[in-house]
Amino acid sequence: MNKSTPSLWKATFAIVRKDLAAEFRSFELVSAMLVFSLLVIIIFNFALELDIKVREAANAGILWTTFAFAGTLGLNRSMSVEKDRGCMDGLLLAPVDRSAIYFGKALSNLAFMFIVEAIVIPMYSMLYNVNLFRIDLLVVILLGSIGYAAVGTLLAAMSVQTRMREVLLPILLFPVAIPVLLAAVKCSSGLLAGDPFSDILTPFNLLLVYDIIFIAIAFMTFDFVVEE
Amino acid sequence: MQPRPIGLKILDVVTIIVLAISAYLALFFAPTEKVMGEVQRVFYFHIGTAWVGLLGFVIAAIAGIAYLVSKNMLWDRFEVAAVEVSTVFFFITIVLGSIWARPAWNTWWTWDPRLTTAAITELIYIAYFMLRQGIEEPEKRARFGAVYTLLGGISAPITFMVIRLFRTIHPVVIGSANGTQEKMSMSGDMKIAFFFALFAFTVIFVDMIWHRLRLSALEEKVESLKLNASM
Amino acid sequence: MFLLLEEAPDTFGYMILGYAFFSVVMIAYVASMYVRNRNLKRDLETLESIQAEEAKPTKRQ
Repeated sequence: MNKSTPSLWKATFAIVRKDLAAEFRSFELVSAMLVFSLLVIIIFNFALELDIKVREAANAGILWTTFAFAGTLGLNRSMSVEKDRGCMDGLLLAPVDRSAIYFGKALSNLAFMFIVEAIVIPMYSMLYNVNLFRIDLLVVILLGSIGYAAVGTLLAAMSVQTRMREVLLPILLFPVAIPVLLAAVKCSSGLLAGDPFSDILTPFNLLLVYDIIFIAIAFMTFDFVVEE
Repeated sequence: MQPRPIGLKILDVVTIIVLAISAYLALFFAPTEKVMGEVQRVFYFHIGTAWVGLLGFVIAAIAGIAYLVSKNMLWDRFEVAAVEVSTVFFFITIVLGSIWARPAWNTWWTWDPRLTTAAITELIYIAYFMLRQGIEEPEKRARFGAVYTLLGGISAPITFMVIRLFRTIHPVVIGSANGTQEKMSMSGDMKIAFFFALFAFTVIFVDMIWHRLRLSALEEKVESLKLNASM
Repeated sequence: MFLLLEEAPDTFGYMILGYAFFSVVMIAYVASMYVRNRNLKRDLETLESIQAEEAKPTKRQ
């Protein structure tokens, strides 16, 4: 690597900045994810007849289902934009490490998920009268979203290059992301039920393990997914 | 396409013989299990198919890594063969388990960790074929397939560990029925049928992989000819 | 529940169902391999004959 090559961090943040700047100009993606999330929550409300008892057991599941669905929307969009406008080729030609592209896209996907979550969580708290603003719960949401975005970015990069494109992403992503979603649900429902932290230590550890393993794999295999 | 090599011809015959012997052992030789009755005979083929199913998925993940490292299409063929044959066998495993569960647990299905993980694993590999179908260039298809088998192979065991946390109510159902209890009550003749089924399905698996590899080789040949013809 | 029963329950039908299912899937899979193989061979022959024709200097109209 010569001296003119920007460092991994610099390149990564340049990509994140690019994505965020493009998004903040129109708020297309975030607003779509947000409206979609609210619709999912409303549908769940009536589909499950959420009275107070059912709701206490179902809160964590509904939240994570919403995040996962909205996340898929965002992942698909952010990758197909790159593909359609030919930006991906530009990024690949740029003299940066390929892993910078992966980390950049994963971080901006994560940022979109966070923005949506930052609005959905207070709304959900208000609509259903539960307090979701707890530091331990927010840590779980952070870890779950990281794992989901890590695998999702890799698989979205794959699915946009296939014939079925957007349709394929959930089919590829959900079965592989089940462990992270279920571990996150298990942690969240334990926390919401007021269990002590020691009780949710096992799912919490699995969440961490999943994050570490899948970030590592996605980082190692992303090269093979974008190479031409 | 060359005619079948002599080794494969022999293996075909051996496969049919061991399958027949294994079926005989399972259906007639092994004594009827006292608690379960005749349906317990399904268990021998259930275990046999499950064993080669899992073996194939492990082989596929290894072949995927080998492909990514070497970029040799032979590994891709191995991966496809292993995943396809295993998907068929694993499907049989799930349904046979379900048929066994109906009289045993009075339900076709429980959301037990093993059953759920098996179903999710099967879905991962069905998704694998959908992914491959959507890609035209053989080289890219091989790359994406390899990455996905790798992801699937690693996420399946984690799925099992996570789901076990949810279903703490009845972990004993399958554990005692297939594991400790069954083992204790498994007589000598049952053990013979059991181990022979494992051996027989390994032979069947190798034979099918071999056939599938030849099919892939033929597919590749036709594909490259088509590319030439269209150019 | 079954432990209380003296005689083994009659589950013969389920056993037949299990092995019948196994046979059907295996036969179907082997048949699918055979059909795919046959179709590919046919494609190969067609493609090879096209190529052979193109190789000739005078093309058939």
